[in-house]
Amino acid sequence: MNRQELQTIITAETAINIYNKYKHKLCVCCGAGCISSGAEDVLKKLEEEIKTRGLENEVEVIATGCMGPCNQGPLIKYLPDHTIYQKVDCSNIKAIVQSQLIEKKPIEDLLLFADSRPKPFIDAREDPYFKKQMKIALKDCGHINPEKIEDYLANDGYQAFDKVLFQMSPEDVIAEIKQSRLRGRGGAGYPTGLKWETVYKYVSKQKYVICNGDEGDPGAFMDRSVLEGNPHRVLEGMCIAAYAVGANKGYVYIRGEYPLAIKRIELAIKQAKKLGLLGTNILGTDFSFDVEVRIGAGAFVCGEETALIASIEGKRGTPKPRPPFPAESGLWGKPTLINNVETFASIVPVINNGGEWYSEIGTPKSAGTKIFALAGKINYSGLIEVPMGTTLREIVFDIGGGIQGGGEFKAAQTGGPSGGCIPAEHLDVKMDYESLISLGSIMGSGGLIVMDKSSDMVDVARYFMEFCMDESCGKCVPCRVGTKMMHDLLQKICNDKGTTIDLERLEELAVYVKECSLCGLGASAPNPLLSTLRHFRNEYENRITE
Amino acid sequence: MPKIAVTIDDKKLDVDAGKTILEICRENGIEILTMCHLKGLTDVGACRLCLVEIEGINKLLSACTTKIAANMVIKTQTEKIKRYQNITCELFYAERNHVCSVCVANGKCDLQKLGYKTEMDHIRYPYLFPQCNVDTSHAWYVLDHNRCIMCTRCVRVCAEVEGAHNWNVMNRGNKVRIISDFDTPWGESETCTSCGKCVHACPTGAIWPKAIVQGQLEKKPEMITELIEKRKMNL
Amino acid sequence: MKTATPATDAALAKDPRLKLIAAKIKKENYKPDALIEILHTAQNAYGYLPMSVLKYITKQLHLPPSRVYSTVTFYHFFSLKSKGDHTCLVCTGTACYVKGAQAILNEIENQFSLEPGQVSADNKLGISVARCIGACGLAPAVVLDDEVLAKATAEEIVNKINAKIVES
Repeated sequence: MNRQELQTIITAETAINIYNKYKHKLCVCCGAGCISSGAEDVLKKLEEEIKTRGLENEVEVIATGCMGPCNQGPLIKYLPDHTIYQKVDCSNIKAIVQSQLIEKKPIEDLLLFADSRPKPFIDAREDPYFKKQMKIALKDCGHINPEKIEDYLANDGYQAFDKVLFQMSPEDVIAEIKQSRLRGRGGAGYPTGLKWETVYKYVSKQKYVICNGDEGDPGAFMDRSVLEGNPHRVLEGMCIAAYAVGANKGYVYIRGEYPLAIKRIELAIKQAKKLGLLGTNILGTDFSFDVEVRIGAGAFVCGEETALIASIEGKRGTPKPRPPFPAESGLWGKPTLINNVETFASIVPVINNGGEWYSEIGTPKSAGTKIFALAGKINYSGLIEVPMGTTLREIVFDIGGGIQGGGEFKAAQTGGPSGGCIPAEHLDVKMDYESLISLGSIMGSGGLIVMDKSSDMVDVARYFMEFCMDESCGKCVPCRVGTKMMHDLLQKICNDKGTTIDLERLEELAVYVKECSLCGLGASAPNPLLSTLRHFRNEYENRITE
Repeated sequence: MPKIAVTIDDKKLDVDAGKTILEICRENGIEILTMCHLKGLTDVGACRLCLVEIEGINKLLSACTTKIAANMVIKTQTEKIKRYQNITCELFYAERNHVCSVCVANGKCDLQKLGYKTEMDHIRYPYLFPQCNVDTSHAWYVLDHNRCIMCTRCVRVCAEVEGAHNWNVMNRGNKVRIISDFDTPWGESETCTSCGKCVHACPTGAIWPKAIVQGQLEKKPEMITELIEKRKMNL
Repeated sequence: MKTATPATDAALAKDPRLKLIAAKIKKENYKPDALIEILHTAQNAYGYLPMSVLKYITKQLHLPPSRVYSTVTFYHFFSLKSKGDHTCLVCTGTACYVKGAQAILNEIENQFSLEPGQVSADNKLGISVARCIGACGLAPAVVLDDEVLAKATAEEIVNKINAKIVES
């Protein structure tokens, strides 16, 4: 397909959208959370109901990606009014269709947060849960059909890729990304533009772009939701990256635990190939790019760049010392760009709206928005996207609805097994890369687990150490033996058998493992321990016998 | 080879570009402790004994895998590095069952030498006492997992020099073990050529020939280096 | 039926599941770097990786046996043993941990005298744990066969497992 043909399709699809073939849309959230709560039955029932009433030419029923408030699911969103119904089951369907579509008045008792707010909002966007959020990476998640490329095209899909191909040089693209000050969303926060530029500068006939979807942090599921809810956005981001750095082959590496995400991205690739958005001579240009999916097999360490590369090569996922960095010598020794799913999902808006626009969102050092996965002892758990610099208090209380059962906030754990705990006295911390590091935690991939007074912080540290010990690849001594030693010492303290000497050993080992390990997993494994020691030292000391 | 100026332990040196920090140090008589390095084999940076401090880089880098660059200021003997080497050595001893007095490699063992060099007088960490097998199924050699430190020199020499790929590593984390074929007893391996290179590559008493008496073990890892270099010259 | 005993080569040749693997290997062009993809296909077909199948894959890809075995044992997704007719997987990710996954796991362990990774003697039930299945909003989550049970309680899970075992 050439460019004109694509534009014709886009115009036609957009026209359908604008002139509204369907007057009404009912979106059923089919994110992983809602599916587990029975969304598939709800969807089936809803489709039947619409058909029975002969409304199928007026009302479009769409299975969408994650809408956010996962523990309120299954969710149905009515468009154009943005009315969301929560905890829907098959018995409510008739009433919802009757009341919303025929009588044109929403059922108040079923509205989102009806059971916890004095007055729920008919337009869910007015609810503080959504009002405090800013959806950029997740923009179309929750109202487009992730399995239809036409839906994506109608929502400005592949426009950024088109702009890049026909109006921008690779240097322009890199300059735009640099100007946006976008940083890697996978954890470390390395400036994305700089990473692209490094790969671009290495001269090689063969280069690779890899999308890291090996979301291993327990408690984080944003990459999964983006891949499930809007796979084309990620694919388009990869295409733009490939054009910028001069790559002609890409891989999406996804955890084996996410079968739906795998299915959807595979479908998206197939659709994009069919329209000539992937393949050779894309849209009649001399740019060629192809993408393949690689499925992870249950190893947290494969989120580490060099381990991920080894895994794509079909080997044990053991990391290699850096330098050399993948930008110089990556997949099969070729220059390789690796970015995380959320990073790729943020590329399209940067190109469409300009780097300057993006850089003005968030804080000066951490631009843009970040997706967080709220979980733990919080009222509204699920997926949120907020501008960088939003305080922890706003996230937990204004968006998350506070602590379950009216309990007291004790700590929030960010960054998973590589991160740390933020205690109550730092609730007003701005959530950005630097502020979190200064508190001894990290942004990580965006998991945010809220704990109340019932959480035992020594046991939390032991839990994460056990995770790192199990997930250690076993290649280098500090991580292989050090995490085991630290875990055993923590277990001893948890069993009230620890001594002052054990605590000393523990602290010494933590610093040693942090500084000496070969890769990021080992280097960050002591973080949960160090941060709980820093903020909750008394809990350790109370359990120690002399 | 072009020369570049570097500073190692306050000594200014003109050295060959393109070599690793470890190579440069050894050429200039600066001692760097290693266990997983064997000259000629691909370096993996696993033992973390050769970590050095480099000015301007905020993390420690392994000398065996890091290429030297112009104007690097390297420190190899700081208090911090020595402290970490001590811990690494102790962790090696605590990880498996190293009982020198009854080991065939007693007196000829690189791990034992490491203990002397780091002046280790006791081990502050609890011994893990893992269950380890001794594989005596091979006609000439023995693999004793109790003495193995997972340096993977046997794996690399078998793959890179002999080309047999008999050895590899199974499992992960602290459950890693050296295996032959499908974790097959060594004597039943279909790939082993019985060349004996792994015996010489092994720095401890983990792989040894049956036909020796305790304390008489002779290992010649330098033979492997020589072999690799001679092959290179032939090419 | 999943069999716990490895098939002989002759039996293997007749096995329709092997055709799936053979087709996958062909599709991947016998490339050694597709090893993990092929292992996924095999694991899906058999529920685990029988030694005879591993040997077949090794031969087809011309890989050293130790290389295949080292890869299989590295990844937790792959299993060398049958996982049981029914599988109960308890998520022990952080959100589930905070919401009491350990108590559920303890109860299951007690009730069925099995630990994670073990299969009952009659091969009817296998217990395993996962580090986060990504259903954190529904914590604690348990996956019984392929069904995700949200906001699980120990009693409910034990009852459901019992029902499954009786059913078969």
